[in-house]
Amino acid sequence: MNAEARLAAALGQSAAPVRDPSFTLAVIRAAESERFRADAALSMLRWGGLAAAAACLGLVLAGWAGVHWDEVQNGILAAGGIFALVATARLMTQRLAPAAVR
Amino acid sequence: MTPNDETRLIAAARKGDSRAYAALVDAHQQAVRGFLRRFAGHWADADDLAQEAFVTAWRKLGSFEGRSSFRSWVSGIGFRIARDTKRAHGRAQVRDSDWLNEQENVEGGAPVEDRIAVQRAMAELPDDQRAAVALCLGEGFSHSEAADILKMPLGTVKSHVTRGRERLLRALEPNDER
Repeated sequence: MNAEARLAAALGQSAAPVRDPSFTLAVIRAAESERFRADAALSMLRWGGLAAAAACLGLVLAGWAGVHWDEVQNGILAAGGIFALVATARLMTQRLAPAAVR
Repeated sequence: MTPNDETRLIAAARKGDSRAYAALVDAHQQAVRGFLRRFAGHWADADDLAQEAFVTAWRKLGSFEGRSSFRSWVSGIGFRIARDTKRAHGRAQVRDSDWLNEQENVEGGAPVEDRIAVQRAMAELPDDQRAAVALCLGEGFSHSEAADILKMPLGTVKSHVTRGRERLLRALEPNDER
């Protein structure tokens, strides 16, 4: 065997791996877990952004409410009035409906 | 696997189909692992590098333009990961004992002395030369494919392969008396 043939044989055999299904499985597992981590990080970032925006809005509202406390009280009273009105209307509807059936 | 099958699988994998990607990994793992084993010079780490290369390829599949084959593209990713890892960890250790155990399990073919001599000579080649030799002489990539993978001019790759082959042949000379 000449030197070229010996080199080809030695190079060909020294590292040729067999096809390994567990290698494929390991790659897919690693890829899926990386994708899961990326999705989780993105989701955390999204919810974190929303929470920060909500907190900012809350702080702004609290500051505004401190300065305009009279308007806030009027708003609360008006909302309470509307709520009471709606509740009364619903109650009356519920009582009148069975009477109309009879 | 025909080029059409490969294109279809790549398109499916881009949409997140992990089965399609598994088929691609299965088809090309031998070439990529073989190249990285020859380039990195030691066994277990080379498979880790190959795994990292395939995972990176999965992440970057959207940027694969199809100008080269998938096998060449992943081999290129593997080469850069291996080179950066080696730079980060300093000169890679040659694990002779592990390597010899593997060599003894190979039956028939080239004598073990030749395989050891070639492996040692490969370890002594400069990185770019070793990568070119591993691709062209070890895995049967063409010179232009190797140039694409290694991001080197074609002439440089040809010269690396020629010089690398000469050095490997010289390493076999002491065993020539057989």
